Amino acid sequence: MTRSEQLKQADATLMAEIGQDQLRHKIRKTERRNFLTAFAFFAPALLLVGALLLFPVGYNIYLSFTKWKKFKGYDQFAGFSNYTKLASNHAFEDALINTSIWVGASVIFPLAIGFFFALVFRSVRGEEAFKSIIFFPKILAPTAVGVIWFYFYAPDGVLNRLISLASGGDPVDIGWLYEASTITPAIIVTFVWQTVGLVMVLTLIGLAALPRDPIEAATIDGASNWQIMRHIIVPLLLPTLLVVTILSVLAGFTVFDLLWVMGSGYPGKRSLSLVVMMYFEAFQKSSWAFASAIAVVIGMVVLAITWVQALLQHRIDRMTG
Amino acid sequence: MKTLRHYTGALVAAGLAIGAGVAEADDVALFSDKGIWTEQLNEYSDAAREAMGVGLDHNAYPAADQYIAFIQSSLASGELPQMFTWWTGGLYRDIIDTGEVADLGALWDDAVASGEFDPGLREFLSVDGKVYGVPLHLSTWTAFYNKDHFETAGITSEPQTWDEFLDAAAKLKAAGITPFHATVQDGWRGFIWFQEIMIRTDPEAYAGLHTGDVAYDSEPVRNAFKIWSDWYDKGYFTDPRSREEAADFARGEGAIYLMGDWVIGQLEARGMKAGEDFSGFIMPNADVSMPSSIIVEGAPIMLSKEGAENPDVVAALKHFMSLEGANVWAAVSGNAIGNLKANSPNAVVEKINADMAERGTLALDRWWEAVPSDLQSDFAAEFAAFMLDPTMENAEEIMARMQEANAEYWADQ
Repeated sequence: MTRSEQLKQADATLMAEIGQDQLRHKIRKTERRNFLTAFAFFAPALLLVGALLLFPVGYNIYLSFTKWKKFKGYDQFAGFSNYTKLASNHAFEDALINTSIWVGASVIFPLAIGFFFALVFRSVRGEEAFKSIIFFPKILAPTAVGVIWFYFYAPDGVLNRLISLASGGDPVDIGWLYEASTITPAIIVTFVWQTVGLVMVLTLIGLAALPRDPIEAATIDGASNWQIMRHIIVPLLLPTLLVVTILSVLAGFTVFDLLWVMGSGYPGKRSLSLVVMMYFEAFQKSSWAFASAIAVVIGMVVLAITWVQALLQHRIDRMTG
Repeated sequence: MKTLRHYTGALVAAGLAIGAGVAEADDVALFSDKGIWTEQLNEYSDAAREAMGVGLDHNAYPAADQYIAFIQSSLASGELPQMFTWWTGGLYRDIIDTGEVADLGALWDDAVASGEFDPGLREFLSVDGKVYGVPLHLSTWTAFYNKDHFETAGITSEPQTWDEFLDAAAKLKAAGITPFHATVQDGWRGFIWFQEIMIRTDPEAYAGLHTGDVAYDSEPVRNAFKIWSDWYDKGYFTDPRSREEAADFARGEGAIYLMGDWVIGQLEARGMKAGEDFSGFIMPNADVSMPSSIIVEGAPIMLSKEGAENPDVVAALKHFMSLEGANVWAAVSGNAIGNLKANSPNAVVEKINADMAERGTLALDRWWEAVPSDLQSDFAAEFAAFMLDPTMENAEEIMARMQEANAEYWADQ
């Protein structure tokens, strides 16, 4: 190769490299522009999530490791002392047990009763009237419901009078909302009364969306109602039931209004649930750091349950194709 | 278009009218949790506006916990209300500790120099030599009694000794009248009878409870619970589960009602006439050699440092302390603020003040204010739990729980 040809080849290689660099540069520029455009679109959402969710959660976690001086704010880092205090706190133990009862009850009873009502009322005469009556409590404010049921359970209230009438007229003086053994079940009954309508409506929507073919085929094949229910309706309804379960678990965890109103005369009010205890510590005792530790525990438990539910959802999605 | 302008004009006019109805331009805002006195404070405000041009715009929070949370967030944001009510005791010291409330020494210098206020009251509201509050009310905790019930039971004079007090209770019970009225309404009232039994049986131990020197499972406390439990056992108390305590007393439930004299206004509003239908006496001590004493409660009005710089706010507070202001407030609310030259708000307060002067009665801090604020609501709930199950077995569990928390608190100080 002559010197001139060598120079031409070098020029060509150089030009190719320059072209590639320019191309790479152009690609990088486009990518950067795309990223900035995308960022501009999701920045408001990021800002809102950051300011209203991530920062408060992070700050709450930080607070739970501090010692809170009343009206002055945190005055020193306290390590795990708020958490060790929680571990030895009788009220926290009771609140944890009561919350577990609430979560269990808020899933089982509304789901069972709502499902039953949905099956019964989906094809009876005057179904709309029945459905409206059962759904009606859901449109009432929980505080108003709490006040109404407080008087229902009062020592001289309707329930004791009904029991008295049923038992031959002897006066009945049960303090439903004043005794540790009766207050949680009593408020759960109120909660079920209020939420069962929503579960019924969600289940009815799920039932209406079920394909008719498999049910008709099973009927032609001579399957009994129970078999159709067990082997066709319930499996096909599982995604709906899972959504209802998630909503119920969250409702059980976060119930506050009813407990605060109906438990107003109960001395152990703060132990009625973790959320009530958190509110009590923060707003009545101004123990913000301790209340933050309770909030962290609630958050961890809810995260764990949500994770299990996500696994279940995944499995159901695979089952139902 | 004309219609739109018409409606817009009407809306603006309505808005202005509503605004004018809420507060006058020169009114100063007073924040509190005393919703029960909104009407009375509005009446006072009208009179103050007429007298000196500045009224009070009362902003009441419905519950103490919400109000405390509001003040806490106000402090955090550096916007403490210029004028607000508070409590004495632990919470008083806590808020003074923030350095955000104003020293009212200048106001008190004038008030004491004029002979209208006792230096002892200034001392009562002072921390480390500086005074930070003016009483919205200064209430003694009195044993109110239903005169008809006493007459029915054949009790001819007020109990002067512990034995006479017990004898009166027995007579009332024998006459079919429940002697004592007490409830757990609103969650905080549980301490009332515990406090009273403690100061009547062992005032030194009562004081020691608030300094951590006496344990909540010590003998003096156990003795108080025994007496309390015994009275429940004898059927001396009304149903603690009522939510209408004052109204129940006015309806004839219970013969003796231990409460701050601020409740007189509520009893009168429900048809009882102070001095005619009911009166009050200072609870006697178990040991006659002990000096006469009575619980005194004061809810102070406080100013933020910014408020103390506002001439309207200072003028409004000064007028509230004045003879004219104190007389109006006494007339509309039935509350005394400690102005020595002011009229007694009613016959019962006048009688109790006379009894106190005659006996040289000592003023004691209420348990609610004296107990460390960190323990306050938990322990009040424990007392309420005892009232719902007033057995000694329950009392032992309650004392153990209280002492555990008490020891932990004081170990941390």
